[in-house]
Amino acid sequence: MRRALLAITGLAASTTALVVFKAAPGTGQPAQEAPTAAEGPAPAARPEEATPRASTSPKPTRSAPRASRSASSGAPKTPAASRTGPAAAQPTASTVVGPVVSNEFGDVQVRITVVGDQIVNAAALQLPRRTAQSDQRSDQVDSRYSGAVGMVVERQGADLDTVSGATATSDSYRRSLQAAIDQTR
Amino acid sequence: MTTYPRPYVSPRPDLRAGPGSHPPAPPPAVPRRGAGGRRLLIVLFLGGLVASVLPWWLDTPAGSLTGSTAMTTAAGQITGLVAGYLLLVQVLMMSRLPVLERWAGGERIARWHRDVAATLLVAVLAHAALILVGYAGLEGRSLLGQAGVMLREYQDMVSAFAAAGLLVLVGLVSVRAVRRVLPYELWHATHLAAYAVLLLGFAHQFSNGSQLFRPGPARTGWIALYVLVAAAWLWGRLVVPLRFNLRHRLRVADVVTESPDAVSLYLTGSGLDRLELLGGQFFRWRFLTRGCWWQSHPFSVSAAANDRWLRLTVKVVGRHTQDLRNLDPGVRVWAVGPSGTCTAAHRTRERALLIAAGSGITPLRAMLEELPPGAALIYRARTPADVLLQEELDWLARNRGLRVWYVVGSRNDPGPRQVMTPDGLRQLVPDVARRDVYLCGPPGLVEQYRRVLRQAGVRRRQIHLATFEL
Repeated sequence: MRRALLAITGLAASTTALVVFKAAPGTGQPAQEAPTAAEGPAPAARPEEATPRASTSPKPTRSAPRASRSASSGAPKTPAASRTGPAAAQPTASTVVGPVVSNEFGDVQVRITVVGDQIVNAAALQLPRRTAQSDQRSDQVDSRYSGAVGMVVERQGADLDTVSGATATSDSYRRSLQAAIDQTR
Repeated sequence: MTTYPRPYVSPRPDLRAGPGSHPPAPPPAVPRRGAGGRRLLIVLFLGGLVASVLPWWLDTPAGSLTGSTAMTTAAGQITGLVAGYLLLVQVLMMSRLPVLERWAGGERIARWHRDVAATLLVAVLAHAALILVGYAGLEGRSLLGQAGVMLREYQDMVSAFAAAGLLVLVGLVSVRAVRRVLPYELWHATHLAAYAVLLLGFAHQFSNGSQLFRPGPARTGWIALYVLVAAAWLWGRLVVPLRFNLRHRLRVADVVTESPDAVSLYLTGSGLDRLELLGGQFFRWRFLTRGCWWQSHPFSVSAAANDRWLRLTVKVVGRHTQDLRNLDPGVRVWAVGPSGTCTAAHRTRERALLIAAGSGITPLRAMLEELPPGAALIYRARTPADVLLQEELDWLARNRGLRVWYVVGSRNDPGPRQVMTPDGLRQLVPDVARRDVYLCGPPGLVEQYRRVLRQAGVRRRQIHLATFEL
């Protein structure tokens, strides 16, 4: 039983240590940088951006009312900007970014790529990612709606089926999308 | 003291040799096994622990944990990963995988299981509490509201809450004080429910675990861990016993009364010469006869391995052991084992002191033939009738250079009191501090002796306990 007490104390201490270590930007870096050094040849000036997950997430200044939330928005999964890639290759394409629409799970922002009056691509710049659950649902919404072959491109509008279990995020997506479409007209 | 008739003498030719005849040359002592295997297991365990938290570490950019909510959630994730890993370790430790039995031994694994269990329980409760507080903070709800949302809206959370509840229940009935007043069957049944914890807790890790719900190395590795543990469990619990029992096909050959409340069961079977059994080890026995087949009990083997028979000596204390007295020859026996590290192979020195109390003599008796010469035995018994196997012990004393002291009397008699003190022990065995000491008897007495031995300067790793709590 004495060992069990030691183990429990150890668990508490090491959990605290890990969290504190990760919370402090400066100290934890070298240890973590070592294994991921191969990721990019150029050493980043700002260490935060050298880690694989926290890559180039555009963070436009938001008019979101819940400013207190932004404290946690640096959490592991920031929206992956890489999803927006391919369609930009079209020479006459233009992109339109919708407004940030907040719901109780987080913020949603949609960007569409338009050629003429055709929507050729849609991407989510922001989706709620604060818990594993909302992360998962955002992924579902994203994969159904976004992309060059997603529902947005298919329907050419904001009349999208709601993703079951992700009503709020689906709704916010549609509103940001509709606003973006309105801007193109 | 009274001697009891021994109708079944034939399987004990070494006893009939007697004092007059020339004894056969004693077989050499069994070779020693080091602590290497055990250390490897500990290193593997710690390595796995680090590996299980690694996904979180790699997933979390430094400096991203700003604010207490994010920190709470992160701590919840860490404790969750640790709890998931420890749960698998717990099941693995109960798999009776032969390599675990060989490297660490059943008794030690049972102790580890207890210690890890307490840690696991705390980790699970911490995980649930921290995640609840963290998510409630993120989504701006009250704690109760958040718990309701989790149960209603999150996938697989109902079963996860059930798993945590079950785990708390299992933990409660395993608290020593509680367990003592509960019938064994109830404790055992709740422990079987612990497997349900594994099943109920499985899904939420993959549907909600921040590090595990995405396809990737972490998820694959975590699933692989489950598959591995399941395979180990099947191997240790099903394949190995099946192979053992098909190979040896043990049957009861005879039941011999050793004292008013102890019987010896002689078992025969095929291929006993290939049995890898060390004196001091035990099997879990299941006697396949009406009223007995559904119970499995650990009993030590009470004689060294030989190619014709196995013997276990059992003190009659309860219903089951009462039934064993009336077993008919020919009854089939299902045995799982051998297990245990209280053997001559686990010695750290060349000489040994064995301290037995009551029926605790049985595993030590089996070891005696495998220890190097020069061993000493102190045998505590309350009355002369409680001294078991005396004939054999005397014979071993004559033929293997064993010194035996029978210390008979109640706890407060001068003799027993004297051997309960460091000085008294040193008088009998002056070099006690340089010997391995094997202890077997009632838990209270064993614990008392352990303390006395430590006072007498015996180092911890020289003390071997044969008490198993299973």
